[in-house]
Amino acid sequence: MTEKTGKQAGTNSELTQSVLGASILVVDDMALMRQMIGMCLSGGGYENILFACDGDEALTMIEADMPDILILDLNMPRVSGYEVARTLRADARYDRLPILVQSASETPEERVEVFAAGATDFVSKPINQPELLARVHMHLQNRFLIDSLTDFRERMQSELVMARDMQQSLLPEMPSVREIERASGFKLESFYRASFELGGDLWGSWLLPGDYIGLFVLDIAGHGVGAALNTFRVHATMARFRRARLDPARFLTELNKVLVPSFPLGQFATMFYVVLNYKTGEMTYAGAGAPRPMVIGNQGVRLLDSSGIPVGISKKPDYVNITDRLMPDESLFCYSDVLIEAPQPNGEMLGEGGLISWVEEQAKKPDRKNLVSRLLRRFFDAQPSSLPDDLTAVAIHPNKERK
Amino acid sequence: MEYKITTKDNQAQVVFRGDITFSENVSFRQLLKDISEQSVTRCEFDLSGVDMVDSAGLGMFLIAREQADTAGWKLAVTGAQGHVASMLKLTKLSDLLDG
Repeated sequence: MTEKTGKQAGTNSELTQSVLGASILVVDDMALMRQMIGMCLSGGGYENILFACDGDEALTMIEADMPDILILDLNMPRVSGYEVARTLRADARYDRLPILVQSASETPEERVEVFAAGATDFVSKPINQPELLARVHMHLQNRFLIDSLTDFRERMQSELVMARDMQQSLLPEMPSVREIERASGFKLESFYRASFELGGDLWGSWLLPGDYIGLFVLDIAGHGVGAALNTFRVHATMARFRRARLDPARFLTELNKVLVPSFPLGQFATMFYVVLNYKTGEMTYAGAGAPRPMVIGNQGVRLLDSSGIPVGISKKPDYVNITDRLMPDESLFCYSDVLIEAPQPNGEMLGEGGLISWVEEQAKKPDRKNLVSRLLRRFFDAQPSSLPDDLTAVAIHPNKERK
Repeated sequence: MEYKITTKDNQAQVVFRGDITFSENVSFRQLLKDISEQSVTRCEFDLSGVDMVDSAGLGMFLIAREQADTAGWKLAVTGAQGHVASMLKLTKLSDLLDG
């Protein structure tokens, strides 16, 4: 047990306090042995020492209140030390209870049997007091370190789950998606899955005055807590630029202006923002390095130019608006990079070209409105359930032919 | 990601192999530390052996660029091809990283 490990789980003085405050159950049928071990432990600074005269009594005491460590004699009447160890090890509640066996017999066979029964460690009789103290101390310290690491891990896991849920709450909710669909006559098909760790994907859509809808996808570089916290920052910042929402290049420029000084070096967001007139199909969009969105029609797939310096890097990003038109049979499909970068079963990444051929294949089938879910079904069939990064895929499909 | 640094006449060349992704964060920072410990005036990142770079990988290049500016050496990113070249083009970072 090194000091370094102790420091990771808590301070050394806290650990020593926990160790000395630990409850120790000494099980021996001989009163003299109980007394001798008890004195040895008291001399070592331990205060919380309990005694049992046989295995039966030990099991009853443990059931009532689990000690932090058990010092167990092997040869006892009624229930032997072996049986006590086996009974405890058969019960998951006592998985982490250290069992220190003491015995006079020293044969190798017996030692093997002791460990097979579930003992953590072994001390020989006659008991060498400093050795007993050292072993008790080491096992208690291990026990508390493992407890503290397990608690820490469990807490971190529940915090991550909470953070993921909070991040998910930044995405558009069903009622607002339905409202956009009702007003625009388009169908919004979206998918978002957070990576096992936290990630930095975000998408959003809003209705704008004059028959327009706005749609953005963004991906903050890297993942983990930093990227996730930055999605909150970006989301909050975006709310400040409502008036720029009709002008994609201006919207990206305003956002960039705020984020350049606040993003740490090496962090940025790739982004694509489009404003679509849902009556005419006219689109104005600006890109900041997001994967190139696809326009999917009956004739095939074409790519939109989403190139641009990601948001948060440069003071002069020079974002430009590009205009295009979504024809009545066409859908617009945006996605985050993990879709083309995640390794496939053959070890290669799908790549943009690979995804285009998947999309073309799916676009030939009827019912385009489920294209994203069909694509992702194919993607996840070949993927482990946990992705290296967040995955976002959003499509706008025409609900009916526009006049 | 693997890399090999060779230095000659105050000029360093780092040849990368494999993927440069988020998980290379720590070794990339170590690389930058190694470079800064040698007094170089120019450093070339040769990416011809790199198959893939993700957005976090690009972020690491930006950090390298910043460190070059601070420490007074020139960074040149060369040899990008395939996915790596597309990423640099899509994010318009090739100019920023090569000057």
